[in-house]
Amino acid sequence: MNDFLGAYSIQHWLESCPQGYLEDTQFGHRGGENEPSFLIDNEVLREDAIRTTVQLVVGERCALSASSGLINAAPDEASRRFLATQTLDEARHVEVFTQRLYDLGVRKADLETTVERYANPNLVKFAEILLEKVDRKDFFCGVVGQNIVLEGMAFSVFEMMHAMNGAQNPKFAHTLSGTIADERRHVGFGENRIGSLLREHPEKKSEIERMQRDMSWFMLATFAEAFRENRTDAELDRIGFERSHATFHGADLAELSLEEMEGLLANTVLGEFKTRLSRIGLEYQSPPRP
Amino acid sequence: MNAAPAIAAPEPVLAIERSGEAAGERRRYELEDTGFNEVPKRFRRFYRRWGGPGEVLAPNEVLCPVCKVVIRSTRELRPGDHVFCLPCMSKLVVVRAADGSLAATSPH
Ligand SMILES: [Zn+2]
Repeated sequence: MNDFLGAYSIQHWLESCPQGYLEDTQFGHRGGENEPSFLIDNEVLREDAIRTTVQLVVGERCALSASSGLINAAPDEASRRFLATQTLDEARHVEVFTQRLYDLGVRKADLETTVERYANPNLVKFAEILLEKVDRKDFFCGVVGQNIVLEGMAFSVFEMMHAMNGAQNPKFAHTLSGTIADERRHVGFGENRIGSLLREHPEKKSEIERMQRDMSWFMLATFAEAFRENRTDAELDRIGFERSHATFHGADLAELSLEEMEGLLANTVLGEFKTRLSRIGLEYQSPPRP
Repeated sequence: MNAAPAIAAPEPVLAIERSGEAAGERRRYELEDTGFNEVPKRFRRFYRRWGGPGEVLAPNEVLCPVCKVVIRSTRELRPGDHVFCLPCMSKLVVVRAADGSLAATSPH
């Protein structure tokens, strides 16, 4: 077994997360921080924020089911313990993003109907492909689907959202930075553990590559719909609120159209997929553009 | 410094390459805490957050390609050195990139 697995201990997780970047946080952000009033008081901006946050809740609910479901499919004790810590990370993400819905004014009794109303059907399909592999206790497909495809996507999406919110919404930016820190461990586990297992089981490659292609299609369709539905930029322009000049992969986000932003995010995520997959010996399969 | 370390040595450099480009004395660096709080306290000074593409790294620094954290060593890094990224648990090897800068890559 790779000796790197020895560091996947609960003790390491405790010293890194609860005693590290999560120390003194409340639902992932600093105490006393609130959603900004320009967002809460504007119906268009508030609804857009709810819609965006629902996608995060849907993605994290999928990750929670996947990481917990993979524990008993893992071939070794260290991987099971790592997945137990990831399960708690994902449960925390579900909780902090659900709390954000409440902070945005969603009533607790309306949570499920709000999630159903705004959940992007393509994101639901993306999750179903992964969870079908998890249900079959397919550790290889499950970990690649969860820790490389889903987490790789989340890593770039959260980084872009973090850049956009840094100046305008420190509360949400702080929540995102804690989830980004968690994703570092998750993608590392995906690449390091599956990379070594795949060298022993090359026969699994074609099935994993097919799953990655199908998940990538629904991910791109999710991005396309999300940017098409976005009314925030137009509303910020209408009320004369300057967009924040945040840099993401060399581009000033305030200068980009929604279409250009979608292209930048899709290309960033797909570029990351390609390099991550090639590091573990897989070839990225390009889906047709939705 | 109370709990037993999760890995044997806090320094992220696992092995120093001793041949070719690696010959000669290496510059030493004093590392200060940069506020990176994603690993246990005793390891924090060996890592820092990355400023994004375009940022020029110091000769004792290399970017982890897996988790995008900057790994820092107490000694100047050179191609062939093996380093460990604790935030994502990746073992990496230092290489010279096409533009002349140092990069870290998977050893496989
Ligand atoms: Zn790393």
